[in-house]
Amino acid sequence: MNAHEYYKERLLLLAVGQLSAEESSKLQKHLEGCPSCRAEFDFWISLSDEITASNAAVLAPADIPERTLAQIRKDASPSFRANFLRTYNLMHAQAYLVKRELWPAAAALMLLGVIVAWLSGHTEFLSFLAPLVAAASLAAIAGPQNDPASELTFTTPTSPWRIMLARLTVVAGYNLLLALVGSLILLPAIPFEFFGNLILSWLGPLAFLSALALLLSLWIGTSNAITITYALWIVQYLHVPQLSQSWPALKAWDSFLAYFRQFWQSPTILLVLAVVTIFLALVSTQLSKYSLKSVLN
Amino acid sequence: MLAGILNKKYSRPTWEECSLTATPADQSDDLILVQRIAARGEDALRELYGVYGQRLYAYALRITEVPAIAEDVVQDTLIVVWQSVCRFRGEGRLLAWLLGIVHHTAMKALRHSPQLITDAIETTLATDDPTPEEKLQSQEQIQWVRQGMKSLSPDHRAVLELIFYQGLSLSEAATVCDCPLGTIKSRLNYARKHLRGILNRQEEAK
Repeated sequence: MNAHEYYKERLLLLAVGQLSAEESSKLQKHLEGCPSCRAEFDFWISLSDEITASNAAVLAPADIPERTLAQIRKDASPSFRANFLRTYNLMHAQAYLVKRELWPAAAALMLLGVIVAWLSGHTEFLSFLAPLVAAASLAAIAGPQNDPASELTFTTPTSPWRIMLARLTVVAGYNLLLALVGSLILLPAIPFEFFGNLILSWLGPLAFLSALALLLSLWIGTSNAITITYALWIVQYLHVPQLSQSWPALKAWDSFLAYFRQFWQSPTILLVLAVVTIFLALVSTQLSKYSLKSVLN
Repeated sequence: MLAGILNKKYSRPTWEECSLTATPADQSDDLILVQRIAARGEDALRELYGVYGQRLYAYALRITEVPAIAEDVVQDTLIVVWQSVCRFRGEGRLLAWLLGIVHHTAMKALRHSPQLITDAIETTLATDDPTPEEKLQSQEQIQWVRQGMKSLSPDHRAVLELIFYQGLSLSEAATVCDCPLGTIKSRLNYARKHLRGILNRQEEAK
């Protein structure tokens, strides 16, 4: 870049007074002998004058602070109906921001699981599949890679954690509904008294695994969250009795697996852990890189 | 002659002198103001608007070009400030942080009402009355700059406004617009070429 080009690039900064005294002086000397740069400088000055002049005619309405405070007070003490409507509207709006593919994909996978369970006579296949589908769905509801409008979303007056809670409720509710419908379809294939057991077999794992997927997706991204939660879920099935008979060292693994499977079959513990994990995820939303601070600063 | 232009440039009324509002506070006063708003001080919010309201409204109006939408944008901005003021850590200027919120809110408003904007621009173009300051300037010059500004996209108008009126540095403008510094430079370059093109066409037409 020659001196002329260098000076030409800095004319804008001279016009808006953002150059040091020394640089301004150098540039002024250059301008005296360079008609091209002088024309450019005059152009920026004209533009600056026009913008300043047009803004001088603008007068901000004086009542905006009072209107804002009235709105803030109204939002702070809403009626039950207003609260309900606001919650509904928030959830309705967030449902549109979740990836569209998520809805049919989750339904198709769950349907496939029901068909396989029905045809094979192994209704527990639904209990295996439902937590995996739910975990993948919840891992894909946050972050710019899943929601291109996330930056704008988090600059709205609604707190990031409320937005996340609304999205989480919609998607988790959908997953729960799918698993419930799947179980009902399988009802003719099992004795009626086992229906409760079938529900409990997927309810706890579904809640905890999907909550964990959400938390991990906020911390380390969607793909990593899915990989880790899937590994945690699938590893309980890596039980090969023949190998442990041949290799005594694998007995420790077998006893670990027994405890691990017991953990996944404890609905109460899993539901409590799910609540704690969701709480951590909502706190993380406030602190994560998707918060307003990082968007604006 | 050049010294005359520069003197004129630097002796022009500053924003503080032009506006009817209070003088923008320095950074430590800004932090005190922010702390008072965080403590739910309604007077502090009014004071914030007194200090920065004119600039925020001018910026919102520059992007949206519709007074009613600009008012909503500023109101939403103040609500965000009320709810999220604790996020401001004083790492940059308060003005830049506020303009960032205005920018995102205004861009969102634009995306939701493109037709309304188009109609309003046409109305504005048809009914704009010259201000006393404009009368003192060359009518032709005002005309081409105004026409040029109207024909630029909101993103380009925003950059010009931030640099020339709000007095932000290029890097502050990049922060407000949430884009790289290079994008700000390229938008300025595009705006320059666009406006110069209009000027040249008008001169050729004479």
